[in-house]
Formats: sequence, C-alpha cells, structure tokens
Amino acid sequence: MALPLPSGLVPTEVAFLCEMEIITIVPRQRLESIPMLSGKTPALRPPRRADLPLWLALLLKKQRRANIVPPPWLLTASLQELVNLETNVNPEGFSEPPPPPMRSDGRGVARPYAATTSRTGDEDGDTKELTLSSPFLPSCTQDAPSGYLPFHWLEIAETLLAHAADDIPNAPEVRALLRDLQEVRAAKLRASTRHLEGGGGVLKLRGVGAMELAESRGFVLSVVDGVRKLGASIEAGRREEELERREGRGGDESDDDMEL
Amino acid sequence: MDIDDILREVDPASQSIPTETRDLQALTRAWVAERSSPELLHWPADGLFERVNDRIKQQIERVEEMTGDMDPKTNFALIVIQTELERFKYLVRSYLRARIAKIDKHTLHYLSSPDLRARLSETEQAYATRHQALLHNHYLSSFLSAFPPALQNLNDTAGNISMIDAPDLDTAVFIRLLKDALVEGHGTDMDGSLNGKNGDVVILRWSDAKPLVESGHAEVI
Repeated sequence: MALPLPSGLVPTEVAFLCEMEIITIVPRQRLESIPMLSGKTPALRPPRRADLPLWLALLLKKQRRANIVPPPWLLTASLQELVNLETNVNPEGFSEPPPPPMRSDGRGVARPYAATTSRTGDEDGDTKELTLSSPFLPSCTQDAPSGYLPFHWLEIAETLLAHAADDIPNAPEVRALLRDLQEVRAAKLRASTRHLEGGGGVLKLRGVGAMELAESRGFVLSVVDGVRKLGASIEAGRREEELERREGRGGDESDDDMEL
Repeated sequence: MDIDDILREVDPASQSIPTETRDLQALTRAWVAERSSPELLHWPADGLFERVNDRIKQQIERVEEMTGDMDPKTNFALIVIQTELERFKYLVRSYLRARIAKIDKHTLHYLSSPDLRARLSETEQAYATRHQALLHNHYLSSFLSAFPPALQNLNDTAGNISMIDAPDLDTAVFIRLLKDALVEGHGTDMDGSLNGKNGDVVILRWSDAKPLVESGHAEVI
C-alpha cells in the first residue's frame, strides 16, 4: 500500500507533471466546453486557437481533432540561439529560465501572472497567497518567449516530437538541435558536482530542467549526503567551537544574535 | 489594508484563474513536496483535500449519468472526463501512499509528540496508532513476552540512545524559489548564504529549506 518508490520524483512522475503544461492548439472540430476537475475547458471553435493541458492536446491530436502549435522556443531559430548561448556565451551555467509571465490588470499595470490571492474560506475571509509555478504557468503556449527553456523543456520537446512531429516545422533539425542542447547541459550538470562539497551548503543551479534533475537526482543528492556524513564530526566540532566563541565574547548579550 | 490590497481584490488577472486550477496547483505542489522531502509534511490545513475529494465524487457521479447517453459527441467528452479523473486519482493516491510510506517507516516518531501528531490527518492517526498496536502485540506474543518487562517497550531511551528512529532532516533536497529570498545553508566547513532570485534552483539541506518552503518562498522539486 505504501509507495515503494525512492524519495524524489522519478522520470515517469516528471513526465506525468509535464503533461499538465498548458499548450496551444488549433482545433479542427467544434467541441463544446467540458466541465473538468481542473476547471472548464474552453469551447473549441475552429480555427480559433485555444490553450489546453498537454495530455488533452495530445488526445485531440491523436484523434485528429486538433493540431498543436509548437511553443516559440521549440523553433529552430530559437534552439540555435540557445545552443550558441549554452556553448559559447555561457559555457559554465545553464541558460536563464523564462522570465515570469506578466499580465495586465486592466488598469495599465503589468502584474506577474503567478501572483494570485486565493480565498481559503469564504466565511472567515482569510486570504492566502498562492504562487503558481510550472507546470501551471503558460511557458509552452504560443505566447511563451522564445530563447528561454522552460522547466519541462526536454519532456515537452520529446513528447511533441514523438506524437506531433508533423506540426513542428523542420522536425529533424529540431531533433538534432535538442540532442546538442541535451549533451551540453548534461555535461554542465556533471561538472557542477565539482562544487558540491564546500560552498557553504547551498549550491545554485539556475535554469536546470525537471528531467535533467530527475536523471541525476540520485547521484547529486547522494554525493551531497555522503560528503555531509563524512564531515559530520568535523562539522559538529566546528559548531561547538563557534558556540563557545560566541558565548565567550557575547557575555551578557543575548545569544540569539549571530555575531560574525 | 492598503491600496495594493484593494487593487488585488478587483484585479482581473487574479480572478481569471479559477479555484479548481489553484487547487490542482496546491495539490500538485503538496504531492511533489511529499515525494521529495525526507520527513512527513503537514496535512493541508485549508480543507484542500476534502474539496478535491468532493469534486472527484461529483465527477464520478457525472460520469455515471453520462454513460447512459450514447451520443458520439458526449462520448468524447466522457473520454476526456474519465482520463482527467484517472489523472486526479493517480495524484491523490500517490500523495497518500507517499505519506503512508513515511508513516510506516517512522511510526513511533510521528506518534511521539503532539506537534508531530498534528501533521497527520485523522485517518492517518488512526491508521498509525492501530498499526503500531497490532505490530507491538504481535512482537509481544511472538518473542517480547520472553524478555524482562523493562525491555518490552519499543520506545526505550536508555543510555542516551533512543529506540525511536527519526528521519534524517539534513538530507539534501532541490528547491525552486518562487520569490526573491535570502537562502541560508549549513555546510560542513562553513555556513553559506546567497541572495536567491525568483526561479533559482538550489540544492541544500532540508532543515535549511524547510522555513522557505513553509513560508511559500520556495517549493520542493
């Protein structure tokens, strides 16, 4: 009954998550709005474009009820730019994640799409901030910025190439460019393990993708944990020393403040 | 309440995202966090799970009503609804099973203090208590009864070694920042911190990540 999987999302679960990404389609048939658990789908009226979750878009595509509009970052020009960015401009880190999408609030102010206030209970009027994040941000629709890889880039690209290759212009070249990107970034992720020890316990990997993380999660996390366990006694000694030094110097001052 | 709050209330951007989508986001986030964090997290307090369960029940009823209708148009809608239903059920099931796996692993730890107990839902508490009692009774009847009474407990703390196994809170996790925040970490040779920007992915110890995740500044990935 209990889940037998190891801690951390495995690649199949990441693929499940990626299928929630919102993608743009061009319907070929009329379809009335369907009341789903995650909200109503938009009524489909060809040829008006609509945004749907990827799993539904793929279902419609398989039944030839719709065509998929590939996200702008999946076009060859954008991918070439990205390969160049990853190999020549920034050979150390990953390319930037897409900027947070903005939306007009109807008053001339652009606000982040993500910032929403959800009412938790109507009776007490208690409000709680809920920030949307991938896969619920529109990072794969036709409005997504080109030249930025979203969090689920690898899975989305693979899925689209597998099931909707005829909707992607110049699919073989896209495939080749994706392969390049994947290799460059995999090498970067492997190289980042050099910084795993040291660094004060925080290591930044800005721009990394979900599937890339899932692939090397076991390795990276066990290295970090292994290094920590090896140095556990040293760390305990250092903490004790620091505590003593602080108490010695602090005297009658409050112990809550870190004096460094 | 300042002008920003008033603006936010009438903000069309925030109202255009329906409650259902927000609940799905919250559920997904809870699932990912539960799958990736070393310890059991709080049961969602705002009735999220009850809402989702109610909706699933309603949806199943709707499917039952619609299956009588053999019109091909509603038939396709039915396929879509059922596919989505399965996806939701998978999410809910996986979430609950991930929690049960953690409860099974450290049952006594989560039952040991009121604070930890509060993380479990009512059903989970009942499950954990009964399961633990059954297990202990089984041990008692098979071999523990042959021991001296002082050694028959499973929560012995003699000699400064507790028999209750606790999860390792220093296990490393990946988090993504949802807002700009200062990330502080504990390392072996030195403690570090960095000024995190929205969208940063950081590897750090769960004990350092926990306050950020709980305050909504970051999410586990």
